[in-house]
Amino acid sequence: MTEKTEPLEALMKQAINGDKRAYAVLLQETSRFLRPFLAKRLNMAAELDDLMQEILISIHKARHTYDGERPFKPWAYAIARYRLQDHLRLHYSDQLRQAIDLSDVENSLPDPVTKSAVTYESIRGEIRALPQKQAAILKMMHQEGYTAKEVAKKIGMKESAVKVAAYRAYKILRNKLERL
Amino acid sequence: MSKIQDLVETLSQDAAVARPAPHPFIMSMKWLAGMTIYLALSLAIYGLRPDLMSKLHEPWFAAEIAVLIVIFVATSFSAALLSFPDLHQMRRVAYAPALMFALFLLVIFFSWSADNPPAALPIHTYECTTCIVLVSLLPAAWTFLEMRKNASTHFRLAGGIALLSALSIGALWLRLHEVNDSIKHVIEWHYLPMIGFGILGMWLGKKILKW
Repeated sequence: MTEKTEPLEALMKQAINGDKRAYAVLLQETSRFLRPFLAKRLNMAAELDDLMQEILISIHKARHTYDGERPFKPWAYAIARYRLQDHLRLHYSDQLRQAIDLSDVENSLPDPVTKSAVTYESIRGEIRALPQKQAAILKMMHQEGYTAKEVAKKIGMKESAVKVAAYRAYKILRNKLERL
Repeated sequence: MSKIQDLVETLSQDAAVARPAPHPFIMSMKWLAGMTIYLALSLAIYGLRPDLMSKLHEPWFAAEIAVLIVIFVATSFSAALLSFPDLHQMRRVAYAPALMFALFLLVIFFSWSADNPPAALPIHTYECTTCIVLVSLLPAAWTFLEMRKNASTHFRLAGGIALLSALSIGALWLRLHEVNDSIKHVIEWHYLPMIGFGILGMWLGKKILKW
């Protein structure tokens, strides 16, 4: 690791002093070691190239903040991470902006295929045949639109007891309907 | 890949000799020296509180002043480090102000507990906050301008810390100038607003230090 990074520090020192060749080699090396880091975090190759260009320009702009005395790679990675976060933030905010509002398309959506054909009205007869309390609970919950809590309050039962009664009623109804 | 090659070619041809930014410790020493002179001048103009010598013998007042000075030093170092993309690879020093703030909270808590029976509240209220902000404006502008020359990748934190550093000068000035013994007032109108301004500093960091 040290053998690989040492030349980068030396190259950057030369580059800061105006050595164009050293700078070109340094930028090439930088793009080489940053590529797998970015590839892991991005999906498209085109995106990767665009971001790599941004990073190299940022390194160029910020090169005065590197003095050649400390390891080069952490400095370069810090800039790469910063630009990557910026890129991802822009990318996702763009996606959100382009996202279609569900309310815009809901009129053109097909009818739900899982919609049940069984309604309260269609099995009114079977419900009437249930014990009186169960029938009253199902009527209030499915015809009048009360919640289990509201039904419990209305008929002076515990909410859990209402739910149990409703569950038993469903069970009886399911058995009856399956036999039909 | 050829786009990258072209860019490398262009950038390397464009590369003139770059003057490296000063070491963050040099930067912060410059700020510390400049702001200490500024604080001394402000105190010379507006005057020290007449009972300062006797107040400095009170342990919690002395501790509060000492911790404010420590916060000022720590935030100066931290702001300088945060203006570099890699924090000059001294992450621990950059985050040191968090410890100093914890110490400060402890000192303030003990000062509050020791304020028994509580000292009389002064008549004024928000004027103290205004004074702290006004005194801190110049140090804040200087710090932000200097930090802008570098390339911060932690611009929000850098902005918050830079503003707290400048505000600590304002807070020090007021504690050494104003005759006021009520710690309740000091918490309410000196230190709590500073936290709010720290958040404003984060916003300023985004506006000024983002590159």
